[in-house]
Amino acid sequence: MRTRILSILAYTGAGFMLLIAASVPFVLIGAFSGVVAHAGLHIDPMYSGGKIARTVQREGYRIVVYQPVQPQMLERLEPFVQIVFEPADRLPAHVSDEIDLDGDGRPDVRVSFTVPRDANAKLRGDVTALNGKFVSLTHVSDESFSRMVVRAGNEIVVRVPINKEVAGR
Amino acid sequence: MASNSSTVARPAAFRGVGRSILLTLPIALWSLLMFTPTLQHPGRDRIIGGIAVIVFMTALFFLMMRTGETYRWRRIFFVALGFLFPIGFIASLVAERGTMSIPISRMVSGDTPFCFMVTPSIILPAAFARTIIFPGAIMSTATNPRSIAIMIGLWFAFTLVLGKAWCSYACFFGGIEEGFAALPKRRRLHKFVTKYGSVLRLIPWAILVFVVLVSAAILEPVYCMWLCPFKAVTEFPAVRNVETAIQFGVFIALFVGLVVVLPLLTKKRTQCGFFCPFGAFQSLFNKINLFEIRFDRAKCVDCTLCQTSCPTVALSKESIREGKTLLNCMKCGACVDSCKKDAAVWHLKGTPVAVKPERARLLFLYGAWGLATMFGGTILAGSLAAIIGFLPWK
Repeated sequence: MRTRILSILAYTGAGFMLLIAASVPFVLIGAFSGVVAHAGLHIDPMYSGGKIARTVQREGYRIVVYQPVQPQMLERLEPFVQIVFEPADRLPAHVSDEIDLDGDGRPDVRVSFTVPRDANAKLRGDVTALNGKFVSLTHVSDESFSRMVVRAGNEIVVRVPINKEVAGR
Repeated sequence: MASNSSTVARPAAFRGVGRSILLTLPIALWSLLMFTPTLQHPGRDRIIGGIAVIVFMTALFFLMMRTGETYRWRRIFFVALGFLFPIGFIASLVAERGTMSIPISRMVSGDTPFCFMVTPSIILPAAFARTIIFPGAIMSTATNPRSIAIMIGLWFAFTLVLGKAWCSYACFFGGIEEGFAALPKRRRLHKFVTKYGSVLRLIPWAILVFVVLVSAAILEPVYCMWLCPFKAVTEFPAVRNVETAIQFGVFIALFVGLVVVLPLLTKKRTQCGFFCPFGAFQSLFNKINLFEIRFDRAKCVDCTLCQTSCPTVALSKESIREGKTLLNCMKCGACVDSCKKDAAVWHLKGTPVAVKPERARLLFLYGAWGLATMFGGTILAGSLAAIIGFLPWK
């Protein structure tokens, strides 16, 4: 009797598995991915740049300043602040902007770069620290996740390292 | 391609043509359903690719039904998937960005397609910090349709149905080494693999624990960044300093060693059996999966043909004596097909062993082949379309 009941359960389960298989492309992928999408997850700030702190409007383009990103756990990451210039196709041929990164009303860095006409061409730029809070970068492109001036789609992404001594205080 | 068919004594369930066609009909209809959007596509290359895959998948399933053998026909699909996936993938990368390498700019813009191999590494940071340590996008975007949500959803749905059989019906990497393992006629290092099998099969678990813990500690997908052999034939972080140059060297060395040379020597899927942490992770789902391979002890003569034929060392003398496979069995069917006494059988958990094993095989294969057609078939069709697109006389 037990064997019979177990067999019935097993075949019912197998039938259920077939139903699941048949519903994968129509229902299940969407349902499971919906769960993932609504789980409140976010991409690690090392890749995403973190949360937006404020936006500065310039003539024809805007500058998005992100919150400082600090390494978590044993993350091999130099602390940095991300700045995004967008849209890249509306930027002047040469950009040189003084930007307030920490929100104290005074500029912290001057970012300058020449926008290549070819969107796939390698971009290089300079970051000049105007105080001791940040680190200057010269002729930088994609040195690391904390030091970069790169074109990503229709944005120019700049990451400025935070002076470790200042960050540590 | 050398085949394991030399060890096949007699098909367990040879059928007539009519009955085989009837049993194949659901898969043929499913294939048509899956590729209907492709067939309505205006691109001729994609239509040809779609039709070829419908015929291919249906024909292979028919042969499984007709001959009663699983492994050799599944292997044809799987090797085709393994070798065509990189072609299609690399073609799309080159068309899109002109190189196989991922520049840092694409990582920060979330344009890296999510790979299921990274799944175990992201679990702890996602669970405890709600952080995904992968440079992709949570939701699909125009520039990255293979988002984390979609790929995790796909993997989870497949895993519910297939368990560890993911590794022999869905993994587009495993086919590469299965292809190399199929080439030689002679098995070398057989004694070594048999003698140290119990140790070798623990390595993926050790790598899994290492990768999961270190990834959670340093918040980087360690396997992707340092250990994935398949970076060599898909995409890899652009070489821009000494660290990324070493990473690239490691990818190449692991690919050549584990995916090409060792399978050629051992006729085993050495990367899958002795290295892959995702495979180890996937083994856990065999516990909840309904389908398995069992051994009818009344028929078994302990010839160990099944053990020799197993591509991932998922059998030991002790496990055969107990009538079971080990946890890392990926249900490829090699042992069942190689058994001359019909002692190795497909089994549905909860039912008596060796009673109606063909029914268990059919139930498993409908699910597995249906999903293989949907996932692997779509990849095959895309890759074929890419190849047709490159043909010089086109």
